[in-house]
Amino acid sequence: MGTTGTTSTKAGRGRASGASSRRAVVPAVIGLAVAATVWVVGLPDRPNILGSPLADLTIPVAILVGLAGLWLAGWTSTTRETWRVVDIVTASVLGVAGGFLFVLWNLSWEVVKAPLAAFPPASGLGVGIWLLPGVLGALVIRKPGAAVYTELVAAVVSALVGNQWGFSTVWYGFLEGLGPEVLFAILLYRRFGLTAAVGGGAAAGVVVGLLDTFLYYPEFSPAFKTAYIAATIVSGVVVAGFGSWALTKALARTGALSSLASGRDARRI
Amino acid sequence: MGVPLVSATPPAAATAVGLTARGWGWRHSGRKAWALRGVDLEIAPGERVLLLGPSGAGKSTLLAAAAGLLDDGAGEAEGGLFTDGLDARVARQTGTEPGVSRTGLVLQDPDAQTVLARCGDDVAFGLENHGLPAGLIWPRVDDALHAVGFPYAPGHATSALSGGERQRLALAGVVAMSPGLLMLDEPTAMIDPDGARMLVRSVARVLGGAVGGAPDDGASSATLIVVEHRVEQWLGLVTRVVVVEPGGGVIADGPALEVFAEQGPALFRLGVWVPRRFRPAAPVPRTSVLAEPVVVLRAAGLAVRRAKLPPVLTAVDLDVRAGEVLFLTGPNGAGKSTLALALAGLTAPVAGDLSATPAMAAGVGPRPVRWRARDLVTRIGMVFQEPQHQFVAATVEAELAVGPHRAGVGAQETAARTAEVLARLRLDRLALANPFTLSGGEQRRLSVATALVTRPKVLILDEPTFGQDSRTWTELVDLLRELLDGGTAVVCATHDRDLVDVFVADGRARELRVADGGAREIHASARPTATA
Amino acid sequence: MSILQLGVESDVRAGAVVARANPVAKLAVALLISVMLLLTVDVVTAGTALVLELAALPWCGLSARGLVRRGWIVLAGAVPAGLVTGWLGVDSGNVLVAVGPVTVTQGSLLAGCAIALRILSVGLPGVVLLATTDPTDLADALAQVARLPHRFVLAALAAMRLFALMGSEWDSLGAARRARGLGDDGAIGRTRTIVGQVLALLVLVIRRGTRLSIAMEARGFGRPGPRTWARESRLRWSDAVVMAGGVVIVTAATVAGLLAGTWHLALT
Repeated sequence: MGTTGTTSTKAGRGRASGASSRRAVVPAVIGLAVAATVWVVGLPDRPNILGSPLADLTIPVAILVGLAGLWLAGWTSTTRETWRVVDIVTASVLGVAGGFLFVLWNLSWEVVKAPLAAFPPASGLGVGIWLLPGVLGALVIRKPGAAVYTELVAAVVSALVGNQWGFSTVWYGFLEGLGPEVLFAILLYRRFGLTAAVGGGAAAGVVVGLLDTFLYYPEFSPAFKTAYIAATIVSGVVVAGFGSWALTKALARTGALSSLASGRDARRI
Repeated sequence: MGVPLVSATPPAAATAVGLTARGWGWRHSGRKAWALRGVDLEIAPGERVLLLGPSGAGKSTLLAAAAGLLDDGAGEAEGGLFTDGLDARVARQTGTEPGVSRTGLVLQDPDAQTVLARCGDDVAFGLENHGLPAGLIWPRVDDALHAVGFPYAPGHATSALSGGERQRLALAGVVAMSPGLLMLDEPTAMIDPDGARMLVRSVARVLGGAVGGAPDDGASSATLIVVEHRVEQWLGLVTRVVVVEPGGGVIADGPALEVFAEQGPALFRLGVWVPRRFRPAAPVPRTSVLAEPVVVLRAAGLAVRRAKLPPVLTAVDLDVRAGEVLFLTGPNGAGKSTLALALAGLTAPVAGDLSATPAMAAGVGPRPVRWRARDLVTRIGMVFQEPQHQFVAATVEAELAVGPHRAGVGAQETAARTAEVLARLRLDRLALANPFTLSGGEQRRLSVATALVTRPKVLILDEPTFGQDSRTWTELVDLLRELLDGGTAVVCATHDRDLVDVFVADGRARELRVADGGAREIHASARPTATA
Repeated sequence: MSILQLGVESDVRAGAVVARANPVAKLAVALLISVMLLLTVDVVTAGTALVLELAALPWCGLSARGLVRRGWIVLAGAVPAGLVTGWLGVDSGNVLVAVGPVTVTQGSLLAGCAIALRILSVGLPGVVLLATTDPTDLADALAQVARLPHRFVLAALAAMRLFALMGSEWDSLGAARRARGLGDDGAIGRTRTIVGQVLALLVLVIRRGTRLSIAMEARGFGRPGPRTWARESRLRWSDAVVMAGGVVIVTAATVAGLLAGTWHLALT
């Protein structure tokens, strides 16, 4: 490593990314193929499980498998970057700080939510803060798994302190982190600018929108559900996407990120 | 604590390890300047060395490198640094018995060194990382806790420890690994004087009390390297002083008294707290005649508390007077900071009354806690113990402009005041830097500057000289003197006896000792009859 | 609140079967219950699970009072969610109450109850887990039994200790902003001040994290080579019993739902 570690010539970089892109294609193709197969299996109307069409089960599984394939693709293309201790500890403290912010927001959320009760889908606008740690972790640490880990730690802290959703917060945290994780994986963990951040925020918004409509509001009409998911996406993009991008930039300027990959970009006096 | 320990498994005696640097230099990645360069240093096993230098001189970098913690990704190295004959990085990874580390490093932030929730577990952490079999861990933990004279049982909660106790716990955690080279990086900088004394005593106990070894027996006592700027407390323990300079190498190296005799005043001006007799002559205290000081703030029967806990102080009566400094002194945790926050109008008192005189309140009501923030900022300025808590802008210049802007001062006037304060506090070349990137002393000066730029009538400071080097200290004293001359009232919560003594000698200080739930005045300021 | 307190509080009977089980076993039960119950929305399944969990409470070492004290916040979440579904959910069956756009029907009322019961029955094992488990023991179990990477588990545990500092730092940051003249002018001004406060908190937290990581590395953390454990965590037969208990609860609840005909996959 050191000054000669990562390939410094442009040609070298081009070659390296070409090879890793090729490595990435294999898991992506396998994942998508399996996903497609699972989906096809669920197509015929007749086989029923316990009163529900088979498609109820196969579609979500196909989606998960497809996403897993894409994530694995992104991850395998960067296996040479291992986490250092400072990366792990920083991601952990960011997660704990995120959990702290959740506690603050949960307290004010009960108040803010009251006027929104008139139009419940609007409550989707408040979820952005809960999605912030994942995207922020990915932008600050820039290693595979950062989004999932940071968001998971934040969720665990929130659950430990106690909140109105109890243990399911942990599941939520894992999946909310997985959304942006998949997006950064698709970008092969190379892009961490504004568009990537916004994309990550949107992905997290989609995940939480789907989760909430499945688990907490399954009895809403389809129109309400769509409105809700739209609201969570907007919140994800603005708060988790744009917000974490702005925070990362500001953090880099304060010099707090100097030991991390994201701080190396900021040149100092 | 004085009872000698008889243990079934004596701790592995530390075989002392030496440190050698040959033309060693380090540059952190992303910086243009080298932290250190061309360091040639030879420390023999068993020596006790004090490493000194101005702030930012790369001493922490040297210790971290010796501990093998600076890897290639963190920056660029030149020359060689060897512990125990091996390259420092290799020495960290390889070739010791389970549970033994060649080097041990104690850092300065007590809160960032406790890893686990129970004291015993925290000490065991290092042993676990070094692969010591589980059955051997707990006896070593007990021995280490005993070796530093730790007053609590292994099951005690680490969250209940004071700063000084945490540092001793960290020392125990390091000592448990039987390091041959024990390094301490400003271990007393962030703890109170009592805690510092206990820590130094613990280090002496560790080095002098190795089982089966006499204090002078180099073979069973580790090598010691201490970086500190308060040196007097370590003089009984160290034999040699090494001085380094920023971006350079060693500029002085020899027995302590010789180095101080040669370089004492120069070192003091660079920020090192050399023993008193080696400092340059202190300026003669000036006294000035004061008319009967005008009261600006008055507290009667004040009771204050932290968060939702029961009141830490009750029935406090005090006056804050223009042109005088009121020192709040007392043991750690007595409530000095809490009282300071209440006096600054930032927290509401639980009982009693804090009121500003009409001259100061000038039309906004007598109770500071009820004032709007923009009214508060021109009347009472507060300087927090941790300067970083107060930074709200992206550059030093913008930082200084925040207060006047909030107070409604015009743009031209703001620019003029900002320029004046920047020059006065020597921050002008940093005007466009981000406040968080400043060094400790610069941050302290900036936090004082931001409180001054709105020209408040009362300035309240919470431990302004905490952890500061001698240069910043001298500047703060000069600044406070100027403020008092200008008629500002100053309140200062502090542990620092030197600071109190300077102003008492000037005749412009009163001291309020805060302890045991109450506060009582100790000195009355002398009333001089002639101007100096 | 296990983060802020050391270990398990005194009102938990530490000798109870579930309380002294390996944390991974407890976690597995909580996860299993949450996954299986989240698959469906129906009163019978959720209700059965809740009843069985409450019946198992004595074995957890927790009294009803202890449960309410720790779990009230889950209750506080279940009730509103149930109500909202009752008012605004898809309507079916007889209309019970109709006030403007809000219609409460038999179907939506049942759905509301189901949601509330589900939140409670998923939340209860989590509350038991937290009440009876010490965070350090949980970390030991995750690393030794579940074989999760020890660097992440221990770093997370160490980082959680910093949580307690964040509250007082946040307050200090707020007081400092008031002292600088900020923070009390309208919603926009307050929001800007708070965002600045969040940034400052993150800077302090990350800096402290970097110092913590140096301190941990200086004690050998992340070193190549095998790591030993001072507090051994193992699975025992009693843990198998606890996990079996979880399986029983889940199976009984699902079977009850199937028999009642109310169980259906809720994924659409």
